Amino acid sequence: MIEVRLFATFREGRDKIVFLEPERAACPADVLDHLGIPHEEVAICLINGFHSGLSDPVKDQDVLALFPPVGGG
Amino acid sequence: MSDESRYTRQILLSQIGEQGQKKLTESTVAVIGCGGLGAPVLTSLALAGVGKIRMIDHDRVSLSNLNRQFIYEESDLDKEKCKRAADFLQKRNSGIVLEPVCECLNAENAGQLLYGADVIVDCVDRIETRRHAGRAARKLLVPLVEGGVHGFYGFVLPILPGESACLECVTVGNAEEKGPVPAVGAVAGVIGSLQAVECLKILLGFDHVLYGRMLQYDGLYGEFTEVPVHVRSNCVCQIG
Repeated sequence: MIEVRLFATFREGRDKIVFLEPERAACPADVLDHLGIPHEEVAICLINGFHSGLSDPVKDQDVLALFPPVGGG
Repeated sequence: MSDESRYTRQILLSQIGEQGQKKLTESTVAVIGCGGLGAPVLTSLALAGVGKIRMIDHDRVSLSNLNRQFIYEESDLDKEKCKRAADFLQKRNSGIVLEPVCECLNAENAGQLLYGADVIVDCVDRIETRRHAGRAARKLLVPLVEGGVHGFYGFVLPILPGESACLECVTVGNAEEKGPVPAVGAVAGVIGSLQAVECLKILLGFDHVLYGRMLQYDGLYGEFTEVPVHVRSNCVCQIG
C-alpha cells in the first residue's frame, strides 16, 4: 500500500492518513486526483522524506506527505 | 537595571548558566517579518537577552493585524511596523540593541540586510521572500529558522546551510496562498515560540536542533508531527 499523510488544510474533509493500493496511483498527481486536491495547491510533496515532483513514480510501501502553502501569520 | 536579576531564571538552567547568557548577549539575530510569527519571536528573543536584534519589515500596522500581533496597539495603526515593534521591545528590555529596517527584503538587498546575523528567523508570508532569505543565508553560511502558519496549522524547520534540507529542497513550484492567510493568534504564538526556542538553541550551541526535521503542529487535532526532510541533490543549496 502507499501511505499518504496529509497535513494542514488538506486534512479538512479527509482523513489524516490515507492508504492507496499501488495500482490506483502511479504518481503523486494520481493521488491528488483521487483525493480531490487541486495540483496547484500543493506546496510540498515528499516521498519517504525526499522531494518529489507530482509526476514522479510512487510505489508500494512508499510514504507520501503533502502540504499546502502557509504564511507568516 | 541589573541584568543579573533580569536573567536569573535562565542562568539557573544548567544548559545556559552565566556563559550561555553571555553568548546570548553577544549574539545578533535578524528577524524577517514583524507580523503574527514575528511578534512572539521578537518578544521571546528580546526578553531572553539576545544582544542585538535586527527586524526587517516594510509593512504598516493595520486593524486586521491586531487579533494576533500583540506588539502593536490601536494607536499604532498606519505606522511602520518595525519602528513600533522596536519601541515595544525596547520598553521591555532597555539593555539590548534593536535595529529596525523598514525595507522589503529582496534578491538585491538580502545579503546586506542579513549580514552579521548569527541566526536568521523567517516569519514572512511570501514564498519568494523566503527563497531570497534562504539563498542569502546559504551565501552567508548562517542558520535559518523557517516557520509558517495557516489558521490552526503551522510548521517549524531550522536549516543549516549546506548541511540540512532547505525550503527549496522540498517545495514544489510556486504554490502560494491567494489573498490573506487565515491566522489565529494563539497558533502563531505556538509556532513563533517554537521558532524562538530553536533560535536560542542554535545561539547557545545546543545539540538536537530540528535540522532536517520539519515539526508540524495541528491545533485542531492537538498534535505535533515530526516529518524528516532530506537534502535534494539537485537543489540550488547543493549546486550553487
